[in-house]
Amino acid sequence: MKLVIGQGSCGIAAGAGKLYDALAPLLANSSTELGITGCIGMCWLEPIVDLYDGSELKARFVQVKPEDAEAIAKAAETGDLSGVQNLIITEDDAAFLEKQTRIALRNCGIIDPNSIESAVAAGGYGAISHILKDGVTPEDVIDCIKVSGLAGRGGAGFPTWFKWNAARQSKGDRKYLICNADEGDPGAFMDRAVIESDPHTLIEGMLIGAYAIGAQEAIVYVRAEYPLAIKRLTAAIEQAEAAGYIGDNILGSGFSCKFRIKAGAGAFVCGEETALIESLQGERGMPRLKPPFPAEAGYWHEPSNINNVETYANVPWILANGGEAFAAMGTPDSKGTKVFALTGKIRRGGLVEIPMGKTLRDVIFDIGGGIREDKAFKAVQMGGPSGGCIPASLLDTIIDYKTLSATGAIMGSGGMVVMDETTCMVAMAKFFLDFTAKESCGKCVHCRIGTKRMQEILSRIVDGKGQAGDVELLEELCEAIKDGALCGLGQTAPNPVLTAIRYFRDEFDAHIRDHKCPAGACSALLRYTIDPEQCKGCTLCAKKCPVNAISGSVKAPHVIDSDVCIRCGQCKSVCRFHAISVG
Amino acid sequence: MPQITITINGKQCQCEQGATILQAAKANGIEIPNLCNDESVKVYGACGLCAVEVVDDGKGRALPKLMRACSAKAMDGYVIRFDTERVLQSRKIALELLMSDHTGDCQGPCRMNCPAGTDCQGYVKKIANGDYHGAVELIKEKLPLPASIGRVCPHPCEEQCRRGLVEAPLSIAFLKAFAADKDLAADTYRAVCEADTGKHVAIVGGGPAGLTAAYFLRRKGHAVTVFDSAQKMGGMLRYGIPAYRLPKTVLDREIDEIAATGVTLKNNITLGKDITLDQLRADYDAVIVATGAWSAMSMRCKGEALEGVVGGIDFLHDISSGEGTAPDLTGKTVAVCGGGNTAMDACRTAIRCGAKDVYVIYRRTRDEMPAEDIEITESIEEGVTYKFLTNPAEILGVDGKVKQIKLQIMELGEPDASGRRSPIPVEGKFETIDVDLVIMAIGQVLNPAGLDGITLTRKGTIEADENSFLTNLPNVYAIGDATNRGAGIAIAAIGEANRCADVVDSALKGELKPYRKPFLSTKTVTAEDLADRPKQNRVQMPTRPAEVRRHDFDEVNLGLTDEMAQQEAKRCLECGCHDYDDCKLIRYANWQPITPERLAGVRNVHETERRLVAIERNNGKCILCGLCVRVCDEVAKQGILGLVGRGFTTVVKPEFQNPETIAVCKNCHACVDACPTGALKFLGNE
Repeated sequence: MKLVIGQGSCGIAAGAGKLYDALAPLLANSSTELGITGCIGMCWLEPIVDLYDGSELKARFVQVKPEDAEAIAKAAETGDLSGVQNLIITEDDAAFLEKQTRIALRNCGIIDPNSIESAVAAGGYGAISHILKDGVTPEDVIDCIKVSGLAGRGGAGFPTWFKWNAARQSKGDRKYLICNADEGDPGAFMDRAVIESDPHTLIEGMLIGAYAIGAQEAIVYVRAEYPLAIKRLTAAIEQAEAAGYIGDNILGSGFSCKFRIKAGAGAFVCGEETALIESLQGERGMPRLKPPFPAEAGYWHEPSNINNVETYANVPWILANGGEAFAAMGTPDSKGTKVFALTGKIRRGGLVEIPMGKTLRDVIFDIGGGIREDKAFKAVQMGGPSGGCIPASLLDTIIDYKTLSATGAIMGSGGMVVMDETTCMVAMAKFFLDFTAKESCGKCVHCRIGTKRMQEILSRIVDGKGQAGDVELLEELCEAIKDGALCGLGQTAPNPVLTAIRYFRDEFDAHIRDHKCPAGACSALLRYTIDPEQCKGCTLCAKKCPVNAISGSVKAPHVIDSDVCIRCGQCKSVCRFHAISVG
Repeated sequence: MPQITITINGKQCQCEQGATILQAAKANGIEIPNLCNDESVKVYGACGLCAVEVVDDGKGRALPKLMRACSAKAMDGYVIRFDTERVLQSRKIALELLMSDHTGDCQGPCRMNCPAGTDCQGYVKKIANGDYHGAVELIKEKLPLPASIGRVCPHPCEEQCRRGLVEAPLSIAFLKAFAADKDLAADTYRAVCEADTGKHVAIVGGGPAGLTAAYFLRRKGHAVTVFDSAQKMGGMLRYGIPAYRLPKTVLDREIDEIAATGVTLKNNITLGKDITLDQLRADYDAVIVATGAWSAMSMRCKGEALEGVVGGIDFLHDISSGEGTAPDLTGKTVAVCGGGNTAMDACRTAIRCGAKDVYVIYRRTRDEMPAEDIEITESIEEGVTYKFLTNPAEILGVDGKVKQIKLQIMELGEPDASGRRSPIPVEGKFETIDVDLVIMAIGQVLNPAGLDGITLTRKGTIEADENSFLTNLPNVYAIGDATNRGAGIAIAAIGEANRCADVVDSALKGELKPYRKPFLSTKTVTAEDLADRPKQNRVQMPTRPAEVRRHDFDEVNLGLTDEMAQQEAKRCLECGCHDYDDCKLIRYANWQPITPERLAGVRNVHETERRLVAIERNNGKCILCGLCVRVCDEVAKQGILGLVGRGFTTVVKPEFQNPETIAVCKNCHACVDACPTGALKFLGNE
C-alpha cells in the first residue's frame, strides 16, 4: 500500500505539509509507503491523499486534516476503509475528473514530480528517445505538430508549427528555445501546476522543440513567485542531465541542448515575449517592436522560439500518439484540449482540461458544479486582464479560439474567473484596469497614460462621481489604446472594459446616472440606515463605528450620518436586531 | 541598394529597399510626426505618433493594424496614409494623453495675455542682455509700431506677469518703448520682404490695424495700398492720443519704416466719397476694411445739441489735426463725462489748453474706472477734479450755449454682468455745476459711410468672422475697432491685423486658412511657489513734474536709461518654456485640434531639478520618449541615465538610482540636444 499526498502549492497552502509531517512518523515502521504527488486539479478538496495498491488507486481522501492522519494510516495498514468513509471523495466530486480529457495534465497529481523514474514509468522521455534513436528528422517533428493543429496556449493561439518552422528556417549562429512560464494573469495557475506536478513533461516538450528548430540552449523563464515550481524544475533538470536527456550528444544522437532557468522579477509585462527576451538579456523588461519577430531576431538577436508551458506539455503526447490523434479532438478551428483554471464564485474551483468545442456551460456547471451558495451566475472572465467577460446569456458558447473572440473575450491562457450576482461589473473592469495600469511598463504613451486615465474614469464611476459621457470617453480611449499601444499588454488592456460595457452597459448607467450599484458592491454608493422600529438603542453599533458616524441615546433609536460614514459595514455586522439596512 | 516605389498620402515616393516608412517619407520631404525617433539610436517605438495605415500592401489588401512608421519597413507597392480618420484619432489621443500629463508653460503669461501674442519674455531677455536691436526684431514679428504702442498700451501683459506674485509686475510696455526708441535712434531695423507675388491688397484705414496688416502683407511679398481719409496716417494713434503721451515724431518715424517696406500710403481719400468699395473690390485682389470707430457715442441726455457740447474723440481729433494749435480754454470750466482712456486724454488735454477747472463726471467710483490707474493719478497731479458717483442728467444752456450741467447723484448697487457694481440713481438728489464746455467721452462707434453692402451687427459694427476676418462680401475682410465688439485697445486691433494678414496671404496663395487659436500648455503658479524669490522693486518711469507738464504737450515720460531698462528686464522670471520654438511636442499638438482637458487626471510631479553637472531637468515636461537615456548609452557611450519605476510614474534618473554615476557625465549635453521637449536644459559649461 502507498499513501500519496498532493503537494502542489494549492495542497501545501491547504495544509498538505503538516499532514505529511503527521503521517510520516505514523508510517515510519510500516509497510505502507508515503509519497507525494503534484496537483490533481481539485483545489477545493485539498489536502488530498490517495491510497494506492500498486498502481491501482484504492481510495481518494479529501480535505484531510492532520488529525485525520491516524485514521488514514490505520486504513492503509489494514485495508479497512470503514473508519475513513467520511474522508472519501463523493461521487459527485469524483466526476470532476472523469468528465475531463487530460493531455497536458496527464501526469499531474499522479506521478511523483521529484522523481525522474516516476516520470519515465509514466512514459516520460519516450517521445524524445524515439525521435533521436529512430531518425525522426526535425522536419518530421514540425510536420507532426502541424498535423496536430497545436496552437500557442499562452493566449494568442498562434500555430505552433509555424513558429517552429520560422525559427528553423532563420539563419543564425545560435538558436534558442524559450519557455514562457511567467504566468501572471490574476486567477491563472495552469502553468504552475504543470511545472510543480510534472516538470519532466515540460523538459521533454522543450527538448523536442529545441531539436525541431535546431536550438542549442533551452531556457525556462519562470516567475520568481513560483518558488516550488523553480525548486522542482531545477531538480528535474539535474536528474535529466544525469540521465543523459540534457547536455551534449543526447542519447548518442549528436543533438546537444543545455537547459537553464531564469527567474523573472515580478513584472507582468515580462510575459509578453519581447519584454521577456529583454529581461532575459538583463535589460529593463520593456517590449520591443515587432517585426522583427523573435523567430528572426530574438534572444541576443538570434533566432528564438518562445512557447508557453502548456504548449510544450502537449508536445510529447502528440509525438507519442501522432498529430492526428490530437487533431481528432476539438473543433475545425481549434484542435486538442485546453486547460482552464476555474476560480471565483465557482463551487468546484481547480484545474480543468477539456477538449476544445465543449461549451462554457459544460465547464462551469457540469464540471465546476455551478455557483457557490446557489447564487445566480452572472458572467465569466476569460483571459484575465487581456480578455473579457462573457455573460450568462452566452453560456452555450463553445470553447474555441474564433468563437470566444467573437464574444469580445479571448481564449487566453486559461484563467476563468466566475462571477455571480454580487459582482459589480464596473468594479470588475476597474479591478483589471488597476492591474494593467500598475503593470504597464511605461514605455508607450497609449498604455502608460491611457490605462491610467481609464482607471481614473472607472474609479470615479464606482465612487459615484461618474459623469455623463464617461462611457463614451472610455470606449474612445479603448479603441485608441487597442490601436496604438506597443505590445499585447496595452493592446488588450481595454478588453475587460469593452466587454463589460458591451454586456452590462446598464450597470455603468446605474452608477453614473442613478448613483446606484445594482450588485450592491460599490461601497461609495451604499447607504447604511437604521430602522428606528427595529433599533433598541443598545449603542453597540455606535461603539463599533470607527469614524463616530452613529449617534443616539441609550435605549433610543440611533442614526447614521451618511456624510461621515465610510461604509465599512461594521455596524451592520454587529447589530443583533437586524435594524441596519444597506441600499 | 535597389529602389522601391511606395505612395505616401497620395505622393509617389522612391526609396531604398530596407528603409523604414519614416525614413522613406523623410527622404521624400514628407514629415510623419514622431517624438521618440532619432536616427542616431535604435528604433524604440514609444510615442506612437508615427502611426500610419497601409491601405494597400501592393497586393490589393489593407493591413489590419496601424503600423509604426519608425519601425515598419517600406515594401514595394505599399500605399500608405497618415491622414486617415483612424490615424488622426490615434495621434490625437496620444497627444491628448501626453498633454494631460505635461505640466509647463509653453509661453509666459505675458505673451499669452498679449492680444497680439508679442514675445514679451523673449524681447525682455534680449533687453536684459543689451541686445536692443534683437529685441526689436522679435517685437516686429508681431507688431510694427513698438515705440508708439509701448507708450500707450494698457499692457494686458503686465496684468498677468508673475512677478506680480512676488512684488510688482515687470514694466513690459515701457521696456518695449525703450528698445524701440534705441533702435529708431540707431536706425538699424529693416524689414525683409519676400519676393513680389504680383497680388495687390487695398486697405481702408491707416490706423494701427490697417498699418499692421499692410506691414505684414508687404513682408509676404504682396503689393499693398493703404487709403485714409485723414491728412496723415496713424488713425487713433495720431488723432485720438494726445502728444504728451505719444509724440507725433515717434509715430511718424514708425510709419516711415512701414512705408519703407514699399507699402503705398494714400491720405485724404475717403471711402464712399473718393473711392467706393465696389471699385476697390474690382481693382484689388483683396480688400481689408480697418476704418476704426470715430463717432462719439451720445449720452442720451437733454441739452446735447447745445453749443459747447463736444464728443471726446472730436475734441482730441481737432486738436491733433490742428498741428499743435490747441483751443484756448484759459479761465474756462470743463466737464468730461466718462471714465475710460478717452476721458483721461480729454481731461488732461483740457488742462493743457489752460482750463481753470476740469471735472471728470463718472457714475461709479475710481475702483470701477476702466482707465489706467496711472492716468488717473497723473491727471489728479495735473489738477483734474473727479466727481465720482454722478451722472449727467441734463445740460442746461442759455441762448443755445452751454451754461450748466445737472448731475444725478448715484450710489453703487449689486454687481452687474461685468462684475462691477452697477450705479443706481439716488432719487431726487442732484447737483448742478457751471460749465463752459462739456466733453462726452463715453465711447465711440463706427461711422458706416461708404460701407454699402456690408452686413453690420446689431451694435452697428461690421460683422466679420472671428477667424477668417471675412465680411459677407467675398474677398473683403474687416478688422479692428470697426468690427464686431467695437472699439477696443490698439494692441487688440494689431493682433487681429497680424492674424488677418496671414489669412489674406493664405487666400492670395490659393487656399484660405482661417486663424486657429493654437493649443498651448499652461500651468498654475501661486505666490507660495515664488516665495523664495528675492524681492526687487519695479523700476519707475521718470516723469516731468506735474506743474511743468500741465502747461504743454511735450511727453510726460522721460524714458528709461540703459541701466534702468536692463535692471528692470532682469527681474523677468522667464516663465515660458525655453524650448518653445523648437519643441516637437507642441508643434505636433497643433497639427490638429486637441482637447486634453477631457482626459484630465493625476499628473506626475513636475519640479525642476539640477540633475547632472550642468543640466536642469523638469519632470513635468518629460514625455518618457527615452531619447536622453538611449543617446547617453548608445551615442555618448556613458549609460548614465536609466528609466526608474514602472507605468505612469516611470521617471528618468541616473541608472540604478545611483547618484555616483553622475560623476561620469562629461557635459556633452547630447541628452539635452536629443530631448524633443523642454524637459532638459543645458546651463553651460560653468
